[in-house]
Amino acid sequence: MKTHEWMRARWAGFFIGGISLALLCGAARPATAQQDGAPGVTLAALADSPTLPDAPLPVAPADSALERAAAQSSNASPSAQSPAQGSQPPTQGEPTPPGAPSLGDLGLTPADTEGSAARQAIMDRRTHMLKLHQRLGLITVIPVAAACISAVGAPPEHGNYGNTTSRDIHVALGATAVAMYAWTASYAIRAPKVSNEHARGGVKWHKYLIYIHAPGMVLTPILGAMAFNQINSGQKVHGIASAHAGVAAATAISYGAAIIAVSWPIHLKF
Amino acid sequence: MKHSSVLAVLLFALPAFAPIHAQAGPSQPDQTWLLDQSTLSYHMSHPMHEVDGVSHAARGKGVCHAGQCDFLVAAAVKSFDSGDSNRDLHMIQTSRGAQFPIVSVRLRLPQAALASPTLDCDIDVQFAGNTAHYSHVLFHQAIEGSAHHITGTVPATLTDFKIEAPTFLTIPIKNDIPVRVDMVWKPS
Repeated sequence: MKTHEWMRARWAGFFIGGISLALLCGAARPATAQQDGAPGVTLAALADSPTLPDAPLPVAPADSALERAAAQSSNASPSAQSPAQGSQPPTQGEPTPPGAPSLGDLGLTPADTEGSAARQAIMDRRTHMLKLHQRLGLITVIPVAAACISAVGAPPEHGNYGNTTSRDIHVALGATAVAMYAWTASYAIRAPKVSNEHARGGVKWHKYLIYIHAPGMVLTPILGAMAFNQINSGQKVHGIASAHAGVAAATAISYGAAIIAVSWPIHLKF
Repeated sequence: MKHSSVLAVLLFALPAFAPIHAQAGPSQPDQTWLLDQSTLSYHMSHPMHEVDGVSHAARGKGVCHAGQCDFLVAAAVKSFDSGDSNRDLHMIQTSRGAQFPIVSVRLRLPQAALASPTLDCDIDVQFAGNTAHYSHVLFHQAIEGSAHHITGTVPATLTDFKIEAPTFLTIPIKNDIPVRVDMVWKPS
């Protein structure tokens, strides 16, 4: 009888102990996966620490893509990222998440990512001067158009060489047009050059048309002066001076075309 | 007695059959994505002009780890071509491209979402020395084999990046400069 009771108690003890061990082993599973020390120590530490340690990072086989990417990230020059951040203001409130790719990971070199405040200043100056060039060029349209219109009354009418008013107005407007043209061109000529790239698009034709209206703006007043002198001396306009009107017309047309070309294509929608 | 002994053996043996995983949670393999092809195009609007500047020179990489993927796409500002070299230079000047030559986009996605036909992304765009955050930008995705073809539009504006609107004939361009994105990503 005593033996039976002892045996029953013994098995009950085993039973309770087994359940307890099962519960403890289930809770301790995350730690035992990584620990290599005595299970007892690990369990005790676990009982004290509120957070579980991270699993060790997998070690990539040699020459694996992961290791190459990691080497590339670690070997990437700090200037690939920090000067980009240095010359660019630091990302406000948006730090790069750990493990996220960086500009160096994309194969961008410091030469690609580094900016230059000096170069930006040159571009700003170029834009400023070209804006003035644009503004003056549009204003110059007025005296050019006015000179063309006033040319109607410039030739002497029916041999009347005495009345010079119309001719004088035409000369004044023409001189104004040439002066404004020169002022306009000076801004484009003096604007800093920032690229050796060939011109593409509308600006290409804008530059090609220079070869027509620039020499035209030189020839027109010369031929006009010759014609003016001939008329003043009572002669009919003849010789090369008679080309004054044609050269002036070609100059004015190419000048207008240059203005349209630099803005091309134009889609009007108001 | 026999039953009790069998029960005891089972109880002792139970822990051996407990799961052995170090950490709970879905196991998704680490993955790296590379941008294979791309077309980025900005649209500028003015009463007298409609301009699209296109870049095919973007680079991108995505790294997936622990169920989260971080993507970075970057392109040089000078790589955008509107068809007019003078306009492109002015664009670079206006957007401070000489000082900040790179435009970059960062986003984070759950790895499980990479197979979805629509990607709802929160993206950070760094451009012209400023960073703008766009929430719930929808990208459409078509998966063709291992290639993921992604298209969408980022609703960028000039004011987001503190860019002064350039003018033509005293009329400024529109503030909206949406950027259309067309990318093909492939796993590395």
